[in-house]
Amino acid sequence: MEENLLAFKPDKWVGNYADALYAYTITRVKDVQQAEDIVQNTFLSAWKARDTYKGQASEKNWLYAICKNKIIDHFRKHAADMVNLSSKEEDMYFDQGDHWTGDAAPKAWSVHFQQPVESKEFYAILDQCKQKLKDIQQAVFVMKYMEDTDSEEICKVLGITTSNYWVLIHRAKLHLRKCLEKNWIGIH
Amino acid sequence: MGIFNFIHLGCKKATFLLSKKEEGKLMPLEKIQLKFHLLICDFCSRFEKQTRFFTKHSGNMHTHSSTTLSEEKKEKMKDLLKD
Repeated sequence: MEENLLAFKPDKWVGNYADALYAYTITRVKDVQQAEDIVQNTFLSAWKARDTYKGQASEKNWLYAICKNKIIDHFRKHAADMVNLSSKEEDMYFDQGDHWTGDAAPKAWSVHFQQPVESKEFYAILDQCKQKLKDIQQAVFVMKYMEDTDSEEICKVLGITTSNYWVLIHRAKLHLRKCLEKNWIGIH
Repeated sequence: MGIFNFIHLGCKKATFLLSKKEEGKLMPLEKIQLKFHLLICDFCSRFEKQTRFFTKHSGNMHTHSSTTLSEEKKEKMKDLLKD
């Protein structure tokens, strides 16, 4: 705790964390301007609250926690614009008997499924594929798999029902999987 | 009819149920249906393995990103953090 307090240097925040927080945010919120605003507001909120910092978490983790809250707030704020559940997507993955259509059926990937991926290319393509999702699918995907938010909380933030949630997760995974298979040469 | 129809699932429903499985929210019958489906369907087994793989790693995307903020933007932020 004491160590954390000694290492608490608000005047060095921008130099030490701005790029890292920005990379964190832009992979979750796709709009550059909005991601910059989130980072800036993270610093501002932290600055205003700096006298309340007690050193329970490291300075870095404290800033990340503030940033993560701002990201969820961002989704909450934009939920109404994103939710357009009436637009039904055409099903390009399954036929009328609910079986995979020929081209959509998952092919075998030559990947070490248990090992961490260090390929920059993989992450770049995953990011591009994620950006092709509809905003609402992206929001659900980010909160669930990147922010580890509870499904109940996600539904509350976005104002959607549990059944909307399951459908969105399903579609997001179908699109991402297909897009990775098509574009990531690492698996062929 | 018979036992097969009772536990039969299409691939669309099976892949849908995989997300529920992840969160431990399958009904007992769904659990049996899905288990049976995955035993006989290579495509859906692949789907499970592949989606688990990329969802597990998606949170690390930022550590492999080389995007940075402009110096100009950073200077602006520094200016804001003053009393």
